[in-house]
Amino acid sequence: MRLEKCYFCSSTCYPGHGTMFVRNDSKTFRFCRSKCHKNFKMKRNPRKVRWTKAFRKASGKEMTIDSTFQFEKRRNIPVRYDRDLMVTTIKALKRSLEIRSKRERVFYKNRMSGNKLRQKTENQALVQKHIHLVDTPAIKNLAQVQKVAQKNKLMDVDMS
Amino acid sequence: MGRLRRSRVHKGIRDIQRKYRTRQYMRDIDQIHDDIQPQNASKFDKPELDPELPGMGQFYCVPCAKHYINKLSLDEHQKGKIHKKRVKLLKEEPYSQAEADAAAGLQRAETKSKKPKTDAMMVDTTEATTA
Repeated sequence: MRLEKCYFCSSTCYPGHGTMFVRNDSKTFRFCRSKCHKNFKMKRNPRKVRWTKAFRKASGKEMTIDSTFQFEKRRNIPVRYDRDLMVTTIKALKRSLEIRSKRERVFYKNRMSGNKLRQKTENQALVQKHIHLVDTPAIKNLAQVQKVAQKNKLMDVDMS
Repeated sequence: MGRLRRSRVHKGIRDIQRKYRTRQYMRDIDQIHDDIQPQNASKFDKPELDPELPGMGQFYCVPCAKHYINKLSLDEHQKGKIHKKRVKLLKEEPYSQAEADAAAGLQRAETKSKKPKTDAMMVDTTEATTA
């Protein structure tokens, strides 16, 4: 049994699911669901559609280069069944996934690391810009004091 | 009972239905990308006369995969925005199944013709995902 990857969103196409499109130059395209098929028919580029794996990888949202990706490969040579091998494989598979998820968590943390500070400065800038909208007595007072001060200054200028 | 939904799906729109007929299927961007390669340029040098096509198939724009009726309209098209946009689009590498696989974390194994792996660890991973 071979599990193909969807051409558009890179998710797995399980047997009996999705559609296969064969173009007139005999190239095949597999789609996991009609959503992906429709998007393909609209001639969209998966690299530019934000919900696809291709987009996420291409724009640095997900880990791309990692040794844990070496595990899963498309092989065209069948391997004779061997119980011991199967046991070790399953063991290795679990371990590899564990390592990958750990690394992904680290990657996500790094990616999001600067966000809090950025958000804070942005918020501060916003408040500074629209300070006149803030309806608290303290700030109103401050504004009034400033106004009076400015008026006095102007008057001083006029007098002199 | 509420209103039936039938009326608001864009199902009976004739123009759209016609647009997505197989007859209207144009060459895909990856096919055109192959066409514009210099080694394939000879295919489009001297087109045969085809009465079915516009302009007897003599005025073909390769990047846009479109026939024009005469030299004038072909030149006019090639001066335009749509053509230039297409040329720009063709400069980037076309998307492929290999890229989709890579995005899912699936890689292509080396073929047998290359030297066989002897490393014990490599063998272990080789058998791993055939199941």
